[in-house]
Parts: sequence; C-alpha cells; structure tokens
Amino acid sequence: MEWKPDWGLRGRMVLTMFLLFALYLVFVGVLFRTNSFIFLPLMGLFVLAQFFFSDRLALYSMGAKEVSEDEYPELHATVSRLSQQADLPKPTVAVADSKVPNAFAAGRSQKKATVCVTTELLRTLDRDELDGVLAHELAHVKNRDVMVMTIASFLSTVAFMIVRMGFWFGGGRNRQGGGIIVAIVASLVVWVVSFFLIRALSRYREFAADRGGALITGQPSALASALLKIDGRMDRVPKEDLREQSEMNAFFILPVKGGAITKLFSTHPSTEKRVDRLRDLEREMETR
Amino acid sequence: MGLLDTIRAVFGTSAEAGATRDADPEDLFGMSTAYVTMEADLGFRSVEAAALCFSGVDSTDFAETVEDVEAILGAGGEETGTEFQIRKDSHGWEWVVLRDDDPEDLVTSVHFAADEFIERGYGSRLLAAVFGFESEGDRVYWIYSFRRGAYYPFAPRRGKERNNQLEFKLQSVLDGELGVEDDESYWYPMWPDTAGGHPWE
Repeated sequence: MEWKPDWGLRGRMVLTMFLLFALYLVFVGVLFRTNSFIFLPLMGLFVLAQFFFSDRLALYSMGAKEVSEDEYPELHATVSRLSQQADLPKPTVAVADSKVPNAFAAGRSQKKATVCVTTELLRTLDRDELDGVLAHELAHVKNRDVMVMTIASFLSTVAFMIVRMGFWFGGGRNRQGGGIIVAIVASLVVWVVSFFLIRALSRYREFAADRGGALITGQPSALASALLKIDGRMDRVPKEDLREQSEMNAFFILPVKGGAITKLFSTHPSTEKRVDRLRDLEREMETR
Repeated sequence: MGLLDTIRAVFGTSAEAGATRDADPEDLFGMSTAYVTMEADLGFRSVEAAALCFSGVDSTDFAETVEDVEAILGAGGEETGTEFQIRKDSHGWEWVVLRDDDPEDLVTSVHFAADEFIERGYGSRLLAAVFGFESEGDRVYWIYSFRRGAYYPFAPRRGKERNNQLEFKLQSVLDGELGVEDDESYWYPMWPDTAGGHPWE
C-alpha cells in the first residue's frame, strides 16, 4: 500500500531531537569546563545496566510474568501473526494481573522484546481491538523506542543526578571555587528543559506507533475504538492502583491519569488527538 | 543496523516501512522443483493443497481486490482444474486455499493470486504461502514468507510442539534450492485451528 508519509510528525520529531542534542552539547561543554566530567562514565554504566535489564525491570514492577502458548494460545497466535506482518521476530509474551486495562512493550532490542498485556485488557477488548493494541506495541518494538528514549534521556538523567548530589553535598562547603556551583545550576536548567523536550518526543513516538500499528493491522478504527474503551475505563479505577503504576507510564499504551496533568507534562498525546489521527488514516485507506 | 535503519529509527517510521513494504513473489516458482526433491529425497508427498495467507484491510477497494482474485482463480481453474476457497480463520486472518493433485498447478495458482494482490497495491498484506507435505502420518510445510522473501520449514506435532529435528533436516536438504530463512527467530509457527488440521483449516 502507498501511504502519504506524515512529514509534519517527522519534522517535529527531528526538531525535538535536534534541540535536545544542542542542549546536551552545551551541557557536556559546561561539564568539561567545570571539571565535572567524572559523572559521565559513572552514570553511563548505570544507564547501560538499566537499559540491559529494562525488560525485566518493567515486568517486575508490573508484577507481570511470561506466559506459554498453552496458557494463552489465542494471544500467542495473534502476537505471532502480527509480528509476521510487521517483519519482527516473535517477542516474549507476558501477562500482568491487574484491574487496569493496559499494555506495554519492553526490551532493549527487537530480538529481546517483550509485549505485556494486563488481564483486564484481555477482558475489556474484543479481538480486533486487541489486535490494534498489540500492533501498536509491536510498532514501538519495531521503531526501537526503548533504545531511542534511553539515548534521548541519558544526559537528562545525568543532569538530574548532579542536581540531586548537589543538594546533598553542596551545602556551604566549596573547595573547588564556583565551578561546581555552575555545574549544578547548568544541570538544573538542562534537566528542566530536557524534561519537556523528552516528553514531547515521547508523544511524537506515540503518534508514530499508532500509525505503524494501524498499518500493521490495516484497521485504524480498531485501535481508535480500543483507545476510547480503555480511556473510559481508566477513569473508573481506584486511585491507589494508578499511583503504583505511574512509574511505568512512558511505555504504556495509555498513560495512567493522575489528576490535572497538563499537556506538556504528559508522555502520551490525548486520546482525542490520537483517535482523530487514526480517523484520518482510515479515511486515507478508504479513498486512496 | 544500516544507515537506512538508523534513519527510520530516528523518524520512528520503521514499523510503517516494515508493514507496508511490497512483496516480490518470483521466488515462489522455486517451489515447483522443491516438490520433486521432497518426494525423491525425503519421501514426502504433496497433500494436494496449498494456501495463501493474507491480512485484510478495512476498505472497499480491498474487498474488490479479493473479488478479482476469486475471478482470476475461477478462470484459471477451468483450465487446470484447481479448486479454490477463500476463508477466514479464528484469528481473523484470511486464506486462499487451493486444491489440486498437480503441484505445478498449485504453485502457479498461488503465484497468480499473489500477483493480483501485488498489482492492486496490496503486496504488503500478503503474509505467507503455505505448501503441505506428508509422509507416514508426519505433516510438514514449506512456508514462504512474503515479508522476509524467504522460505522456512514448519513441522507441527500434537500439542503445539514443533519437530525441530525434522525442520532442520528439511532445511539442510532444500537449502540452495529454496532461499531458506537463516534466522530461525523468523520461523513463525502457523498452528491450525483444529488439532491435526492444516494451518489453513
């Protein structure tokens, strides 16, 4: 099928990445000038470890476990065929026992990927809708979003750590002159600015995964209806559950709502916008 | 990871590209001689059926394409005697099932059908062509993946188990004659809906 590429989305994505890169370049410059460069290799090891264990960490924090073909034959068959269409090796399939209908993809590479759904998601969605959600997650895997987001947020994490350490050790004593203060202030600025850029990038990656997922199943409307269904259910579940799960937000199909989060802070675009774009795709498919 | 892959990763368009890449079915004809080798060297005879698996698109144009495929197979069937049937399996994937005792005709019909999808711009919706063989109760399949442009063997056993030994044997005997997928993580199983049936049943 021939598709009009979404140049607007690509443009915004590249602009965000460029701004992040420029910001990080300045940050690294400041670290060099203030002799605070020592943080980088240390943090590098930490982030690398996190990257390598990201799938296990994600599954652990959700209380999810890998399931076999015997336990969930339908789910396995669906994941297998959708991966076939997406040209991906079949990922590990996991299920989390949860009252929140949700799904996420984890793992550092296409070969080490895991796709996880919650029991409530399996209960809530019909077959086409589940296909749509699983295809969206596979699109994340195919687009290498875990790697992209890890790389994009590496120096942001470093900045955050420096700020935190600054608060612990910085109070009053100051043997190296003003250098360390400059580094801490610069880190604070970098952390705040990169936070918003990373969130924007995350939202663009969601749009890209929606698009990819819709093209994998050939049914944009199925994902749209799944999103609306999940969105409606999310508001009704108890708050405790939500807070527990908020750390996983970045990789969820839909973010867990926590009151009045403004648009800039959120990792996911609004359901309304996502559904609108899926409708555009549906129209494009029908009129091409 | 090549340059193009990297650019796609940056743009977030790998999924789009992977899902919409077109198919090139020329390799399908390799199956004609493979039928001979399967019987002569391994004792596996054709099950006299083959199938084309595709995933539908939610549009009128696609529905018309499927109708045209039916028309083409209907016309071809008058000449070759190949019977066909279009059906949906329990997972929502669709199949063009072909029956003929001449393997040559099966390959030609699969190719005809695949070609029509590609002509109409739906090559990317083709998943697999499945050719069945049997010998003393053992069933094996050669599956051509349109997404990968390569064949892989599939030897199902009861209880969703695969006979890996037999699959590797098939691979080593037919490698060279067929373009066999060398990355086994892409050897997707295609389980039948009913135990003991063909993947398309």
